[in-house]
Amino acid sequence: MGLLTNILLAPFLGPIWGTRFTLDKVDRAVREQLTDDTPIKEDLMELQLRLENGEIDDAEYARQEAEIMQRLRDVREWRERFGMSVGGGPVRVAESDESE
Amino acid sequence: MTAESATATELAPTEGKYVYCIIRNDRSREFGEIGIGSGSRVYTISHKDLSAVVSDTPIVIYDPTRENVLAHEFVNETVMREFTLIPMSFGTVFRSENDVLALLKSTYQAFTDVLDKMQDKIEFGLKILWDRDKVVAAIERDNDEIRRLKDEITRNAASSTYFARMQLGRLVEAAMEEASNRYVTDVHEQLKSCSVASRSNKVIGDRMILNAAFLVDRKDEKAFDERVKAISLHYEDLLTFKYTGPWPPYNFVNIKLKLEKAT
Repeated sequence: MGLLTNILLAPFLGPIWGTRFTLDKVDRAVREQLTDDTPIKEDLMELQLRLENGEIDDAEYARQEAEIMQRLRDVREWRERFGMSVGGGPVRVAESDESE
Repeated sequence: MTAESATATELAPTEGKYVYCIIRNDRSREFGEIGIGSGSRVYTISHKDLSAVVSDTPIVIYDPTRENVLAHEFVNETVMREFTLIPMSFGTVFRSENDVLALLKSTYQAFTDVLDKMQDKIEFGLKILWDRDKVVAAIERDNDEIRRLKDEITRNAASSTYFARMQLGRLVEAAMEEASNRYVTDVHEQLKSCSVASRSNKVIGDRMILNAAFLVDRKDEKAFDERVKAISLHYEDLLTFKYTGPWPPYNFVNIKLKLEKAT
Protein backbone atom coordinates (compact mmCIF):
# COMPACT_ATOMS: atom_id res chain seq x y z
CA MET A 1 0.00 0.00 0.00
CA GLY A 2 2.72 2.43 1.03
CA LEU A 3 4.84 1.84 -2.03
CA LEU A 4 1.89 2.04 -4.35
CA THR A 5 0.76 5.27 -2.78
CA ASN A 6 4.20 6.69 -3.35
CA ILE A 7 4.18 5.75 -6.98
CA LEU A 8 0.65 6.96 -7.57
CA LEU A 9 1.17 10.22 -5.83
CA ALA A 10 4.71 10.67 -7.04
CA PRO A 11 4.15 13.78 -9.13
CA PHE A 12 2.66 15.54 -6.16
CA LEU A 13 4.79 14.25 -3.36
CA GLY A 14 8.04 14.03 -5.25
CA PRO A 15 9.06 17.64 -5.27
CA ILE A 16 8.00 18.22 -1.68
CA TRP A 17 9.99 15.26 -0.49
CA GLY A 18 12.88 16.41 -2.53
CA THR A 19 12.82 19.81 -0.97
CA ARG A 20 12.48 18.48 2.51
CA PHE A 21 15.39 16.12 2.01
CA THR A 22 17.61 18.92 0.76
CA LEU A 23 16.64 21.20 3.63
CA ASP A 24 17.37 18.43 6.06
CA LYS A 25 20.80 17.95 4.54
CA VAL A 26 21.56 21.64 4.57
CA ASP A 27 20.40 21.86 8.14
CA ARG A 28 22.74 19.06 9.12
CA ALA A 29 25.66 20.62 7.28
CA VAL A 30 25.08 23.98 8.90
CA ARG A 31 24.67 22.37 12.25
CA GLU A 32 27.91 20.47 11.90
CA GLN A 33 29.69 23.64 10.95
CA LEU A 34 28.23 25.54 13.88
CA THR A 35 29.14 22.88 16.41
CA ASP A 36 32.57 21.71 15.23
CA ASP A 37 35.46 23.37 17.04
CA THR A 38 38.19 21.31 15.34
CA PRO A 39 39.03 23.88 12.64
CA ILE A 40 39.05 26.64 15.27
CA LYS A 41 41.49 24.70 17.42
CA GLU A 42 43.66 24.16 14.36
CA ASP A 43 43.63 27.90 13.72
CA LEU A 44 44.69 28.46 17.32
CA MET A 45 47.60 26.02 16.97
CA GLU A 46 48.67 27.65 13.74
CA LEU A 47 48.52 31.07 15.37
CA GLN A 48 50.70 29.81 18.19
CA LEU A 49 53.19 28.43 15.69
CA ARG A 50 53.34 31.76 13.90
CA LEU A 51 54.10 33.50 17.18
CA GLU A 52 56.85 30.98 17.96
CA ASN A 53 58.33 31.47 14.50
CA GLY A 54 58.39 35.22 15.00
CA GLU A 55 56.02 35.80 12.08
CA ILE A 56 53.68 37.85 14.28
CA ASP A 57 54.24 39.86 17.45
CA ASP A 58 52.52 39.57 20.82
CA ALA A 59 50.00 42.30 20.03
CA GLU A 60 48.92 40.64 16.78
CA TYR A 61 48.75 37.32 18.58
CA ALA A 62 46.52 38.78 21.29
CA ARG A 63 44.22 40.33 18.70
CA GLN A 64 43.76 37.12 16.73
CA GLU A 65 43.55 35.00 19.86
CA ALA A 66 40.63 37.09 21.08
CA GLU A 67 38.83 36.43 17.79
CA ILE A 68 39.45 32.70 18.05
CA MET A 69 38.22 32.64 21.68
CA GLN A 70 35.01 34.30 20.56
CA ARG A 71 34.54 31.68 17.84
CA LEU A 72 35.11 28.91 20.41
CA ARG A 73 32.53 30.48 22.71
CA ASP A 74 30.06 30.68 19.83
CA VAL A 75 30.53 26.99 19.08
CA ARG A 76 30.09 26.13 22.74
CA GLU A 77 26.87 28.09 22.78
CA TRP A 78 25.53 26.29 19.71
CA ARG A 79 26.50 22.92 21.15
CA GLU A 80 24.61 23.73 24.32
CA ARG A 81 21.64 24.83 22.28
CA PHE A 82 21.65 21.51 20.39
CA GLY A 83 22.09 19.60 23.65
CA MET A 84 25.58 18.38 22.74
CA SER A 85 28.47 17.85 25.15
CA VAL A 86 30.76 20.81 25.77
CA GLY A 87 34.32 21.04 27.03
CA GLY A 88 35.03 23.18 30.08
CA GLY A 89 32.66 24.23 32.82
CA PRO A 90 31.91 22.29 35.96
CA VAL A 91 31.78 18.51 35.70
CA ARG A 92 31.18 15.61 38.01
CA VAL A 93 31.44 11.84 37.81
CA ALA A 94 28.51 10.59 35.77
CA GLU A 95 26.04 8.50 37.71
CA SER A 96 25.05 6.52 34.65
CA ASP A 97 26.13 6.05 31.05
CA GLU A 98 23.21 8.09 29.84
CA SER A 99 25.21 11.27 29.64
CA GLU A 100 26.94 10.20 26.41
CA MET B 1 35.81 38.31 27.76
CA THR B 2 32.42 39.89 27.32
CA ALA B 3 31.00 42.11 30.01
CA GLU B 4 28.39 39.53 30.77
CA SER B 5 30.77 36.65 31.44
CA ALA B 6 33.12 38.92 33.38
CA THR B 7 30.27 39.68 35.72
CA ALA B 8 29.53 35.99 36.02
CA THR B 9 33.15 35.42 37.03
CA GLU B 10 32.94 38.00 39.76
CA LEU B 11 29.72 36.63 41.13
CA ALA B 12 30.79 33.00 41.09
CA PRO B 13 31.96 31.83 44.49
CA THR B 14 35.52 30.49 44.72
CA GLU B 15 34.39 27.06 45.69
CA GLY B 16 35.19 25.02 42.59
CA LYS B 17 38.29 22.91 42.13
CA TYR B 18 40.36 23.13 38.97
CA VAL B 19 42.08 19.75 38.50
CA TYR B 20 45.50 19.69 36.80
CA CYS B 21 46.59 16.10 37.16
CA ILE B 22 46.47 12.88 39.17
CA ILE B 23 49.54 11.60 41.02
CA ARG B 24 50.44 8.80 43.39
CA ASN B 25 50.74 10.49 46.76
CA ASP B 26 49.04 9.95 50.10
CA ARG B 27 50.05 13.07 52.01
CA SER B 28 48.84 16.60 51.69
CA ARG B 29 51.19 18.55 49.42
CA GLU B 30 51.57 22.19 48.40
CA PHE B 31 53.00 23.28 45.06
CA GLY B 32 52.96 27.05 45.53
CA GLU B 33 50.73 29.90 44.41
CA ILE B 34 50.88 29.10 40.71
CA GLY B 35 47.26 28.19 39.95
CA ILE B 36 45.30 29.16 36.86
CA GLY B 37 43.42 32.44 37.07
CA SER B 38 45.11 34.59 39.66
CA GLY B 39 47.93 32.40 40.95
CA SER B 40 45.93 30.65 43.59
CA ARG B 41 47.41 28.01 45.85
CA VAL B 42 47.98 24.59 44.26
CA TYR B 43 47.47 21.67 46.61
CA THR B 44 46.28 18.06 46.75
CA ILE B 45 43.03 16.26 47.47
CA SER B 46 43.76 12.63 48.31
CA HIS B 47 41.99 9.31 48.36
CA LYS B 48 44.12 6.37 49.57
CA ASP B 49 47.42 6.62 47.67
CA LEU B 50 46.10 8.83 44.87
CA SER B 51 45.95 12.61 44.82
CA ALA B 52 44.37 15.14 42.53
CA VAL B 53 46.45 18.29 42.16
CA VAL B 54 43.99 21.20 42.32
CA SER B 55 43.50 24.88 42.95
CA ASP B 56 40.39 26.75 44.08
CA THR B 57 38.49 28.45 41.30
CA PRO B 58 35.23 30.15 40.61
CA ILE B 59 32.85 27.95 38.61
CA VAL B 60 33.74 29.30 35.19
CA ILE B 61 34.65 28.09 31.75
CA TYR B 62 38.30 28.80 31.08
CA ASP B 63 39.11 29.94 27.56
CA PRO B 64 42.18 28.15 26.17
CA THR B 65 44.14 31.40 25.90
CA ARG B 66 47.90 31.19 25.80
CA GLU B 67 48.05 32.59 29.32
CA ASN B 68 45.61 30.01 30.72
CA VAL B 69 47.15 27.08 28.87
CA LEU B 70 50.63 28.06 30.01
CA ALA B 71 49.40 28.29 33.62
CA HIS B 72 47.91 24.79 33.34
CA GLU B 73 51.12 23.45 31.82
CA PHE B 74 53.34 25.22 34.34
CA VAL B 75 51.58 23.49 37.24
CA ASN B 76 52.01 20.11 35.56
CA GLU B 77 55.69 20.82 34.85
CA THR B 78 56.20 21.73 38.50
CA VAL B 79 54.47 18.58 39.76
CA MET B 80 56.37 16.50 37.21
CA ARG B 81 59.72 17.29 38.79
CA GLU B 82 58.74 14.99 41.64
CA PHE B 83 55.92 12.79 40.41
CA THR B 84 54.72 10.67 37.53
CA LEU B 85 51.43 12.23 36.61
CA ILE B 86 48.28 11.71 34.59
CA PRO B 87 47.40 15.08 33.06
CA MET B 88 43.76 16.19 33.05
CA SER B 89 42.27 17.98 30.06
CA PHE B 90 42.60 21.74 30.10
CA GLY B 91 39.69 23.46 31.81
CA THR B 92 38.43 20.60 34.00
CA VAL B 93 36.55 22.14 36.92
CA PHE B 94 34.66 20.31 39.65
CA ARG B 95 32.12 21.93 41.92
CA SER B 96 33.51 20.71 45.22
CA GLU B 97 36.14 18.66 46.99
CA ASN B 98 33.59 15.86 47.28
CA ASP B 99 33.17 15.75 43.50
CA VAL B 100 36.95 15.43 43.11
CA LEU B 101 36.98 12.62 45.68
CA ALA B 102 34.21 10.90 43.74
CA LEU B 103 36.44 11.01 40.64
CA LEU B 104 39.40 9.49 42.52
CA LYS B 105 37.21 6.76 44.02
CA SER B 106 35.35 5.81 40.87
CA THR B 107 38.44 5.83 38.64
CA TYR B 108 40.90 4.50 41.23
CA GLN B 109 41.80 1.31 39.38
CA ALA B 110 42.23 2.91 35.96
CA PHE B 111 44.36 5.74 37.39
CA THR B 112 46.51 3.21 39.25
CA ASP B 113 47.04 1.08 36.14
CA VAL B 114 48.01 4.06 34.00
CA LEU B 115 50.33 5.46 36.67
CA ASP B 116 52.08 2.08 36.76
CA LYS B 117 52.46 2.10 32.99
CA MET B 118 53.64 5.71 32.89
CA GLN B 119 56.05 5.34 35.80
CA ASP B 120 59.24 7.27 34.88
CA LYS B 121 58.04 8.00 31.36
CA ILE B 122 58.16 11.45 29.85
CA GLU B 123 56.99 12.92 26.60
CA PHE B 124 58.86 14.96 24.04
CA GLY B 125 57.32 16.89 21.20
CA LEU B 126 58.98 17.06 17.81
CA LYS B 127 57.71 19.24 15.01
CA ILE B 128 59.57 19.39 11.73
CA LEU B 129 59.12 22.28 9.32
CA TRP B 130 60.68 22.48 5.93
CA ASP B 131 61.75 25.32 3.76
CA ARG B 132 59.93 24.64 0.49
CA ASP B 133 62.37 26.62 -1.66
CA LYS B 134 65.38 24.76 -0.31
CA VAL B 135 63.69 21.39 -0.69
CA VAL B 136 62.70 22.22 -4.27
CA ALA B 137 66.27 23.31 -4.99
CA ALA B 138 67.59 20.03 -3.57
CA ILE B 139 65.10 18.06 -5.64
CA GLU B 140 66.04 19.91 -8.83
CA ARG B 141 69.67 19.16 -8.10
CA ASP B 142 69.21 15.46 -7.36
CA ASN B 143 66.41 14.37 -9.67
CA ASP B 144 67.66 13.87 -13.25
CA GLU B 145 64.27 13.88 -14.91
CA ILE B 146 63.18 17.08 -13.21
CA ARG B 147 66.49 18.79 -13.93
CA ARG B 148 66.34 17.86 -17.60
CA LEU B 149 62.75 19.05 -17.99
CA LYS B 150 63.53 22.29 -16.22
CA ASP B 151 66.60 22.94 -18.37
CA GLU B 152 64.52 22.33 -21.42
CA ILE B 153 61.85 24.78 -20.34
CA THR B 154 64.40 27.45 -19.48
CA ARG B 155 66.26 26.99 -22.78
CA ASN B 156 63.14 27.25 -24.88
CA ALA B 157 61.32 29.73 -22.71
CA ALA B 158 59.27 31.06 -25.59
CA SER B 159 58.27 27.78 -27.13
CA SER B 160 58.02 25.63 -24.01
CA THR B 161 54.51 24.44 -23.68
CA TYR B 162 52.03 24.85 -20.93
CA PHE B 163 52.01 21.07 -20.67
CA ALA B 164 55.73 20.83 -20.09
CA ARG B 165 55.36 23.28 -17.23
CA MET B 166 52.39 21.36 -15.89
CA GLN B 167 54.35 18.17 -16.04
CA LEU B 168 57.28 19.76 -14.23
CA GLY B 169 54.95 20.98 -11.50
CA ARG B 170 53.46 17.54 -11.06
CA LEU B 171 56.86 15.88 -10.92
CA VAL B 172 58.12 18.35 -8.33
CA GLU B 173 54.97 17.87 -6.20
CA ALA B 174 55.39 14.10 -6.27
CA ALA B 175 59.09 14.33 -5.50
CA MET B 176 58.35 16.63 -2.57
CA GLU B 177 55.82 14.25 -1.13
CA GLU B 178 58.28 11.44 -1.53
CA ALA B 179 61.00 13.51 0.17
CA SER B 180 58.69 14.40 3.05
CA ASN B 181 57.87 10.73 3.61
CA ARG B 182 61.52 9.83 3.45
CA TYR B 183 62.54 12.45 6.05
CA VAL B 184 59.71 11.50 8.39
CA THR B 185 60.42 7.78 8.12
CA ASP B 186 64.10 8.37 8.71
CA VAL B 187 63.47 10.44 11.85
CA HIS B 188 61.05 7.83 13.25
CA GLU B 189 63.50 5.06 12.43
CA GLN B 190 66.38 6.80 14.18
CA LEU B 191 64.38 7.59 17.31
CA LYS B 192 62.75 4.20 17.66
CA SER B 193 65.52 2.59 19.71
CA CYS B 194 65.50 5.28 22.40
CA SER B 195 61.75 5.80 22.75
CA VAL B 196 58.92 3.62 24.06
CA ALA B 197 56.22 4.82 21.69
CA SER B 198 55.41 7.60 19.29
CA ARG B 199 52.32 9.27 17.98
CA SER B 200 51.90 11.43 14.92
CA ASN B 201 49.40 14.26 15.14
CA LYS B 202 47.94 16.29 12.33
CA VAL B 203 50.43 18.77 10.91
CA ILE B 204 49.74 22.47 11.46
CA GLY B 205 50.13 25.01 8.68
CA ASP B 206 51.69 24.36 5.28
CA ARG B 207 55.36 24.16 6.24
CA MET B 208 55.09 21.33 8.75
CA ILE B 209 55.84 17.76 7.71
CA LEU B 210 55.89 16.11 11.13
CA ASN B 211 54.02 16.81 14.36
CA ALA B 212 54.88 13.95 16.65
CA ALA B 213 55.06 13.06 20.31
CA PHE B 214 57.49 10.51 21.69
CA LEU B 215 57.19 8.64 24.95
CA VAL B 216 60.63 8.21 26.48
CA ASP B 217 61.91 6.39 29.55
CA ARG B 218 63.61 8.82 31.92
CA LYS B 219 66.78 6.73 31.76
CA ASP B 220 66.90 7.20 27.98
CA GLU B 221 66.29 10.94 28.11
CA LYS B 222 69.91 11.83 27.40
CA ALA B 223 70.22 9.35 24.55
CA PHE B 224 66.99 10.60 22.98
CA ASP B 225 68.12 14.18 23.36
CA GLU B 226 71.47 13.52 21.69
CA ARG B 227 69.85 11.60 18.87
CA VAL B 228 67.40 14.41 18.12
CA LYS B 229 70.26 16.92 18.08
CA ALA B 230 72.29 14.71 15.72
CA ILE B 231 69.37 14.30 13.31
CA SER B 232 68.57 17.99 13.30
CA LEU B 233 72.22 18.75 12.56
CA HIS B 234 72.18 16.27 9.70
CA TYR B 235 69.16 17.97 8.14
CA GLU B 236 69.95 21.54 9.17
CA ASP B 237 70.11 22.86 5.60
CA LEU B 238 66.62 21.66 4.73
CA LEU B 239 64.56 21.24 7.87
CA THR B 240 63.78 23.14 11.04
CA PHE B 241 63.31 21.02 14.16
CA LYS B 242 61.10 22.22 17.00
CA TYR B 243 61.90 20.05 19.94
CA THR B 244 60.04 20.51 23.24
CA GLY B 245 59.76 18.76 26.57
CA PRO B 246 59.92 16.96 28.82
CA TRP B 247 56.14 17.00 29.05
CA PRO B 248 53.72 14.88 31.01
CA PRO B 249 52.48 12.07 28.74
CA TYR B 250 49.64 14.16 27.25
CA ASN B 251 49.53 12.10 24.06
CA PHE B 252 49.82 8.67 25.61
CA VAL B 253 47.24 8.66 28.37
CA ASN B 254 43.79 7.92 27.20
CA ILE B 255 41.39 7.33 30.06
CA LYS B 256 37.84 7.96 29.06
CA LEU B 257 36.47 9.63 32.18
CA LYS B 258 32.76 9.34 32.68
CA LEU B 259 32.05 12.94 33.48
CA GLU B 260 28.87 14.87 33.06
CA LYS B 261 27.98 18.48 33.30
CA ALA B 262 27.40 19.50 36.89
CA THR B 263 24.31 21.64 37.19
